[in-house]
Amino acid sequence: MATFMEDALVEARRARDAGEVPVGCVFVHNDKVIARGGNEVNVHRNATRHAEFICIDATLAYCREKRLPARQVFSEISVVVTVEPCIMCSAALHTLAVKEIIYGCENDRFGGKTVIDVAAVVGQQINITGGVRADEAMSLLKDFYKGENPAAPPVAKKKK
Amino acid sequence: MDNNGIKDNLRPPAAKKIKTDNFGITAILSDDYKKDITLMQVHSCEVESKQQLQAVIKELALKLPHFQHLKRVHERNVLICPSDDIKDTLEQHLQLHQISENVLKTLCRNVNVIEVPASSAKLRVQYEQMTKYWPCKFHPDKYAESLQNGSNFTVSQRAYHKRMAELLWKLSKDVNDGQNVGICVDPRRPSIVAIAAAGDGSSHQHCVMWLVDHVARSQRGGAWQTDQQFVKDEPHTKSTLSGLPQIFYDYLKQDAACQDLRLGAELPRREEQQPQPEPVEDIHADNLCKYGPYLCTGYDVYLLREPCLMCSMALVHSRVKRIFFLERSDNGALASKFQLHAVKELNHHYEVFQFTM
Repeated sequence: MATFMEDALVEARRARDAGEVPVGCVFVHNDKVIARGGNEVNVHRNATRHAEFICIDATLAYCREKRLPARQVFSEISVVVTVEPCIMCSAALHTLAVKEIIYGCENDRFGGKTVIDVAAVVGQQINITGGVRADEAMSLLKDFYKGENPAAPPVAKKKK
Repeated sequence: MDNNGIKDNLRPPAAKKIKTDNFGITAILSDDYKKDITLMQVHSCEVESKQQLQAVIKELALKLPHFQHLKRVHERNVLICPSDDIKDTLEQHLQLHQISENVLKTLCRNVNVIEVPASSAKLRVQYEQMTKYWPCKFHPDKYAESLQNGSNFTVSQRAYHKRMAELLWKLSKDVNDGQNVGICVDPRRPSIVAIAAAGDGSSHQHCVMWLVDHVARSQRGGAWQTDQQFVKDEPHTKSTLSGLPQIFYDYLKQDAACQDLRLGAELPRREEQQPQPEPVEDIHADNLCKYGPYLCTGYDVYLLREPCLMCSMALVHSRVKRIFFLERSDNGALASKFQLHAVKELNHHYEVFQFTM
């Protein structure tokens, strides 16, 4: 499954090029990518448009189109994402009861495993594997936040 | 009713009035604000004379700097260290921390194990309980006190919150088949920015997720496709109604009780600029004033039902100012199952209130 991390990284770079936080995700079903996406927060002015949610929406559309039972399809999906899902995404993925989550680098600010125990709150256990090509995922984030980040000016002001 | 105002004033205070209005707003505070205090076992000693105290305290402060929330000394009693810290004997523990021989002798003479408060007091009620065990330090926090006793809202603010609570009920019952309803309000005017309704069932498209997307619509964004019609703005308006589904707008317009409710959101200010992907952390109402609408910064959210973990975190990401809800949910993440707003590591914290009627 970890081989699909390259697909997720492609989506993360695409998000970066669109001025979004560089996080990418693919949903894998029967060894095939059925949904892919990167963050789309800025373009939609909606802070919940994380890569995982783009893929959840795409999967539901896929199920409608193919007339497949969504609940069952989700239970067979491997989520491959460049950064540990945040509490919101992790809660959604646990509630949808996906098969497993494979992520790159940790999210120490609001990771759904690192910061709080989402599985315990939602009451659903999922296999979670972290650390797959973590350095690449992390360096994408680091480059983004030190680069042309519009949030930078207020930080510079503080230094005065 | 007695029409004579003077007579009214002579009566005992209006206990009656409070009884007839059962509407309450309870702040859901983190465990730090719970009235019950936790205690810990500590080793203390009673020195023979007050003259010994100075040397003892000086050395303890330097070498065993415990109990920042407590006074170290009470009469001739001194707190030495938490009992749990002592592996073997007190004497060995003190030697380990290089306490000088003189002080060590003094401290090992009249040792008691006592219970003292384990953490600092946030509220006066806690402080009063704690001082029964040991003298504590206390820095009163006026705002926390007002949240605790419900005096943080003015009369007109309370009246508005009550109207929103009633509106949640009405919209759910009259327009939405009893499903969850959410209202987003800009509290500055106050004005309704967006309304959404949905079941919080098996899909991820819960009421809160729709509400956040409807607020995005008021900022020329929004991601989810829907058959719902939204209000279209007149050209050159200063505020926008585009976060309001037509069905709710029509309902509010035909309801006589809602005629004076303000509707609409301030438009995003510099539209040519992309919103900041990582906004500055500051007092959030101020950020709404300073930068104009961005996500749900500075906005209040009223919900019929307590949000689940996914929705609660969506509201953190959206930088909501306050959340008010009416009914608890089995999977609620603000009071029932969890208290997301009490997680200190998060980069944004909203206040949470529950209506009681």
